[in-house]
Amino acid sequence: MGMAILSLQSVRKEYVTDGQCVLALDGVTLDVAEGEFAALVGRSGCGKSTLLHLAGAMDFPSTGTVLIEGKPTSGMNDQEQTELRRTKIGFVFQSFQLLHTLTVQENVELPLLLANKSGARDTALERLHWVELDGLGARYPHQLSGGQMQRVAIARALAQSPRIVLADEPTGNLDSTTGNGILNLLLRLTRERKTATIMATHSLEAAAVCDTLVRLRDGHIEDITRR
Amino acid sequence: MPQLRLFYRLMVRPLLHEPIRLGLTILAVALGVAVVLAIDLAGDAAAGSFRSSMETLTGGNDLEVVAAGGVPESLVATLAVQPYQLSLSPRMEDFAVNTVTNETVPLIGLDLIGEGNYALQNSLQINQPSSEPSGEESLVMLEDPQSIWVSPHLGKGVGEHLALLVNDKVLDCVVRGVLPEKSVNEDVVLMDIAGAQRALGRFGHVDRILIKLPPGANVDQWQKRLGNILPAGVEVRPQGTGTQGNRKMLAAFRWNLRLLSYIALVVGAFLIYNTISVSVVRRRNEIGILRALGASRGQVFASFLGEAACLGLVGAVAGLLLGRIMANGAVKLMSATVEALYVSSRPGVIALTSYSVALAMLVGAGVAIVSALSPAGEAMQVPPSDAMALGRREYVARLRQGGDLVIALLLAVAGALAAAMPSVGGKPLFGYLATVLLIVAAAYAIPALANFIAGSIGRTLGKLLGVEVLLASRGLAASLRRTSVLVGALATAVAMMVSVGIMVGSFRQTVVNWMASQLPADLYLRPAGNPAADRHPTISLELAERIAALPGVEGVERLRAYEISYEGMPVTLASLDLRVLRPNRNTDFFSGRPTNEVLAELRGKNNVVVSEPFAYKHKLKAGDIIRLALGTERVAFRIVDINYDYASERGYILIDRGILLNFLPDPTPTNLAVFLANGTDPEHVRREIQQVAAGYRILIFSNRDLRREAVRIFDRTFAITYALEAVAVLVAVMGVAGALIAMVIDRRKELGLLRFLGASSEQIRTMILVEAGLLGLLASLAGFVLGYFLSLILVFVINKQSFGWTIRFHWPVAVLLGALSVVYAATLISGLYPARVALRINWLEVLHEE
Repeated sequence: MGMAILSLQSVRKEYVTDGQCVLALDGVTLDVAEGEFAALVGRSGCGKSTLLHLAGAMDFPSTGTVLIEGKPTSGMNDQEQTELRRTKIGFVFQSFQLLHTLTVQENVELPLLLANKSGARDTALERLHWVELDGLGARYPHQLSGGQMQRVAIARALAQSPRIVLADEPTGNLDSTTGNGILNLLLRLTRERKTATIMATHSLEAAAVCDTLVRLRDGHIEDITRR
Repeated sequence: MPQLRLFYRLMVRPLLHEPIRLGLTILAVALGVAVVLAIDLAGDAAAGSFRSSMETLTGGNDLEVVAAGGVPESLVATLAVQPYQLSLSPRMEDFAVNTVTNETVPLIGLDLIGEGNYALQNSLQINQPSSEPSGEESLVMLEDPQSIWVSPHLGKGVGEHLALLVNDKVLDCVVRGVLPEKSVNEDVVLMDIAGAQRALGRFGHVDRILIKLPPGANVDQWQKRLGNILPAGVEVRPQGTGTQGNRKMLAAFRWNLRLLSYIALVVGAFLIYNTISVSVVRRRNEIGILRALGASRGQVFASFLGEAACLGLVGAVAGLLLGRIMANGAVKLMSATVEALYVSSRPGVIALTSYSVALAMLVGAGVAIVSALSPAGEAMQVPPSDAMALGRREYVARLRQGGDLVIALLLAVAGALAAAMPSVGGKPLFGYLATVLLIVAAAYAIPALANFIAGSIGRTLGKLLGVEVLLASRGLAASLRRTSVLVGALATAVAMMVSVGIMVGSFRQTVVNWMASQLPADLYLRPAGNPAADRHPTISLELAERIAALPGVEGVERLRAYEISYEGMPVTLASLDLRVLRPNRNTDFFSGRPTNEVLAELRGKNNVVVSEPFAYKHKLKAGDIIRLALGTERVAFRIVDINYDYASERGYILIDRGILLNFLPDPTPTNLAVFLANGTDPEHVRREIQQVAAGYRILIFSNRDLRREAVRIFDRTFAITYALEAVAVLVAVMGVAGALIAMVIDRRKELGLLRFLGASSEQIRTMILVEAGLLGLLASLAGFVLGYFLSLILVFVINKQSFGWTIRFHWPVAVLLGALSVVYAATLISGLYPARVALRINWLEVLHEE
């Protein structure tokens, strides 16, 4: 494993919902290196999604520090956050979240177009090749299987060659065979692209392919097992 | 009641969670209702219930005797000596201008000392000055043309002075009495009939004789009996017949305005349809749950109709208040048009009757419910299994574009056929039907257009203009059902704007071109005062002669106009001095013959030329014979030709002045056309005329001034049309804003995802604005094409069949470009608030909604 790309240092996150204070994370410290595939495991409500959001600079800690490539995310303005999301972070969702009005290729191009990058078409085709979906670029999401849609989502997440890939229950809507295929794909790409991949899952089976297993409970890290 | 409680919780309360969108929808309905109501109220008031100002103080009479040029005084005696118990009231009727306020008031001369009016004199309780005059003094006072009795609204007391412009002279009048309020409810100036004859310069004639018949008399029989006694040219008719004639003239005008007012309502209907459709789409899951829990299809159907009814009723109530306020402005605009084109009348009171209230409620709720029928019908088809479809977020509209295009084509063909049909009872009913068919055809064709532009060329636009455009166009194409309805609403408003703009522009250009050839003289004169279609004040003969004698004046044509009746409808009889045929006269005749060739046929003969509106209304052609009642005679005239004329919808009959004087011998002109010798400076002559006319009140127009004035009056008559267009466009743009807000809310997951993927706030805002812009572009395109076809119907069918004018088609390019730009800009602006809503979305939350 290489240097830590993502580092959470004593991170605490509180939310206020309908006047009630909810402690989502409490004193979380975690480093993820490039080429490392880490799984966040725990029941619903243990703080997995919150941790992913903090890791992706979608949200910010109440106390503590989140560093991405050594830079703290707190204090970033909207423009800097946008730039970070465009260039450093890719996100894979449980329910794929593809735009049904765009073709497969266009979905993968989307982050590049948003960032005004040239050569979006070629890059998208390359990413589709990475996820073994050559030749399906002209199809629409509703014409694909669940596994294919998730592969497209992964290709999109990798469009900008991000340093960090965050996957929130990527196999949650897939059958076990398809899900395993996705997990192996994520592992392979993590190694090849030297990204830091963090996956939230409630399935220990899914977590089994990962290098690092981070158990969360009630907002705390119970233990971290590195293989 | 449990049903009502459920209805409130399931249908009404969710509406309250989106107050801005709810407000916009209600306001759209309110404006549609308000416009319909305002035009209806203003129409009644502006036309004074179709009452001419001359109907003041006529109450209680059965018949009236009238004649072109006035009824000879001697006929009063003829009627008086008949062995019948008749009550006669001869009247002089004209208008005077209050020189202080510049308001025109009816001037009525009554026989205040005649026995027949003794009762009138007493009932008016005319106030006498404090010192009782002697009988002779009273007589002198009464016959003095400067003795007047006024209505209380003129604000004058006994003994006060009031300067009145009568024809071309100002009279310094003294108020001898004030009429009691209960006897008259509008402004009027009374004189004794002899004084009025002197003031008006019309001796030997009265304008009307009102007759009260014995109690229980049969009016028709008496009409025949008295008609046999009087000369052929004098008409005996039921009192108020003139009003009936004006009513017919005004009918077409009012109908066309009503049609225009309904356009805003049609646009509102589109928006209600869209609102309820969105409601059905969003609540598809809920509907499934309700069905699974035991709700019947009928209950689901009724719920959505109920939602629409609520929107319609609230909108109608707001529209009622708004419409009453708008009627104040509308009545001013309409009154000016009625007076300029039809009849002098004072606007009546705007009365919000129970009929008006019922109309507003019916229109508001009715349109809303009808618009909601289709989406409510779809809602009731939702099966209970949709309750399980948690992952389903989008309802794919069943759009049968091919089928819709076929329907559109059939409707368009039907519209074309309807447009070719003749009028029904003088009304262009098939023309109205054709416009409705074309609008519905466009509504069916728009989905295909929207799909083509938004979907097919979105990629190309995206490559050229950026990813925001690609996303916006794909987003619109994906929600085609919603998009089509919005585009339909805005396109209808744009089409109305384009069609009316082309019609008015064509009409205007036709009038401008017509005037260029119609005004051969260098200067034109008329008496000062407010012009109106049925008023023809005269210029003193001595003034005309003095002007003719000025150096530099080559000739003066004396033009005289009278209001007469032909087949129960008013028409203007105009005489032209044809002793000298000017070479630069250039009138457009149906035959295409040179002007002087046609006019030569009028000289010294019982021949006339009639204008196109007159010929159209009475179905006449060149060669036909018409009989006109002139003075005491009925005279036959042959129509030698028909000319294109746009001066008045009442129509003109043009006759040689010399011939007219044989029957109506009053030589005073109503207008003077002054021809200058070559090389004469018009401004110099104008100054000379002003000098000789000191002591008279006349207006002098150069050729150019007159054209400008005519165009100004023309533009003013269409002011209310422009106001209606603006409301329709406003309703549509508000609808677009409301619908965009709904689309943003419904696509919040997509927008949240884009933020995840690195879209900046600016890009999200741009995307929403591009969607608004694309909607505006689609609507402008569709509206322009539809508007063009509607304009053809307006110009060549509705206008022709309503008024009889031939209008030459003309593209008012600058006006159309300007108007379309404004609409487009407004549509873009309507996207600003939805863009703000999009940026306020908590994208973390929305992506984790399940």
